[in-house]
Amino acid sequence: MSTPNSPSMLQALSPSDSGELEQRRVLFAEIDASCRLPVLLLFVSGLTWLLIGTVLAILASWKMHNPGFLADWAWLTFGRVRPAHLNAMVYGFASESAIGISLWLMCRLCRVPLLYQWIIMLAAVFWNLGVLIGVAGILAGDSTGIEWLEIPSYASPILFFSYALIGVWGIITFRFRRQPHLYVSQWYLFAALFWFPWLYSAANIMLVLAPVRGTVQAAVNWWFAHNVLGLWFTPIGLAAIYYFIPKVIGRPIHSYYLSMLGFWSLALFYNWNGMHHLVGGPMPAWLITVSIVASVMMTIPVVTVAINHHLTMAGHFRKMKYSPTLRFMVFGGMSYTVASLTGVLMALRSVSEVTHFTHNTIGHAHVGMYAFFTMVVFGSVYYIVPRLTRREWPSAGLISLHFWAAALGMFLYITALSVGGVFEGLAMDNPDIPFLDVVKGTLPYLRIRTGAAFLLAIGHTAFLINFVWILARLWRPYRQATPMIIAATQPESGPIKP
Amino acid sequence: MIILWLIFIGSLVLLPGTALLALRWAVRRGEFHNLQKAALSIFDEEEPVGLVTDHFPGMEIPDANRRAPRDP
Repeated sequence: MSTPNSPSMLQALSPSDSGELEQRRVLFAEIDASCRLPVLLLFVSGLTWLLIGTVLAILASWKMHNPGFLADWAWLTFGRVRPAHLNAMVYGFASESAIGISLWLMCRLCRVPLLYQWIIMLAAVFWNLGVLIGVAGILAGDSTGIEWLEIPSYASPILFFSYALIGVWGIITFRFRRQPHLYVSQWYLFAALFWFPWLYSAANIMLVLAPVRGTVQAAVNWWFAHNVLGLWFTPIGLAAIYYFIPKVIGRPIHSYYLSMLGFWSLALFYNWNGMHHLVGGPMPAWLITVSIVASVMMTIPVVTVAINHHLTMAGHFRKMKYSPTLRFMVFGGMSYTVASLTGVLMALRSVSEVTHFTHNTIGHAHVGMYAFFTMVVFGSVYYIVPRLTRREWPSAGLISLHFWAAALGMFLYITALSVGGVFEGLAMDNPDIPFLDVVKGTLPYLRIRTGAAFLLAIGHTAFLINFVWILARLWRPYRQATPMIIAATQPESGPIKP
Repeated sequence: MIILWLIFIGSLVLLPGTALLALRWAVRRGEFHNLQKAALSIFDEEEPVGLVTDHFPGMEIPDANRRAPRDP
């Protein structure tokens, strides 16, 4: 299909000095300028929630092996701190960063500046308000008690209203796109923008506003909790990987056909996942079996993505040494494969009987939400922010510290909980071992987990310092002796009034 | 209760159903006609194939194509 806006193969392969090139530079500069305030607002608030969530995570982790720590304050008890951590991370940090990345990617891929920025700014303000009220409500004792939906009923409508504004924006931008052919990342992004409100509203209606009874609650709960990861965070993470890896190394993805196969198999079959978490529970056996089958079918999109990423990177792994974005993206991409394939295994009845109700599940959730998605978010932010601010990252050392602290922290965290969880599950399945002994047996793994949380906190602090530093540079004219990699796309270099 | 069950089961069926509709729309629009070209659509004259577009601040990538600095 030939269109005036999509480049010919020859144009894509070799740069030219025509007026069209100048137009393209101006367009990219316009897009970045239009995204600057809304995306930076989302990133800054996301980073703030990341830090709040990190503090809550350390508290919760510490309490796992020192239950008396800060136990005299009701609002700091484990039952409140742990869901407050989860919701601050999921709806505060991860969702806001995901929306920010989606905005920038959609504008770049649609070749249109961000339209109606005020909609996004308004949505971001209300989203933050909703998360703030929600997390404060959880700490105050108003949690719904429903996994991944603990935010009280008086705060969740605010989140839904904010999201509706973002959804409207998504449709508008998609409608006015100048690039008629859709790239695979656009498919993932548009699908995620469509799926999330469906999941969130259906789950809230059935669990919070007009709760269903009995075991149906568990079915809906796990359907939501699993799908929000697979149909909200995963598509956005994969969209970012499919854009940034080829873009950074300057090489198209190995097989566009495989990328399409991966997307459509995810879109058609992922929705049936979730109920496999109820293996052994009082649920219709066919419902659980269907979920197990759907989980095993997820091998198709996972393997297609893994093959595609690996063969795209083949011969270019050396560039990870020089590119922060590539480093985080490849780590995230590999973790996606690990998270998904172990998820397939854990869905099997024989494995689930051991691993469910153990710390192994928590480790698995962190492979998906942190080692995959959060690392992809970090990589994306390292690419996008210099283009929005027209400034280089101030410190390469802080980026390296961030990466290694996060990577090492995650390695320790996942290893400890995965191994410890299996031992815990085997012990729990043995009627000769008293339950208290099982609990005591997990303590060494829980202490390693707390150590890992401190490492992650060091990485987050390094990220925060670099982020505040680059924002502080906005008020100063840019003076850089060597040409920046972003210089050609940016026509100006004076101070920016944010 | 029955209505809520219908919402739940309906979601399980309708979500893949909308994906099927989107797939039909994509096939009719010719989204799968030229896959090689689709893979190249993120590259253009400004950021062509072969150009490395990210590196640590102040670090050079050996043997990598870099964009020439702009005229002042």
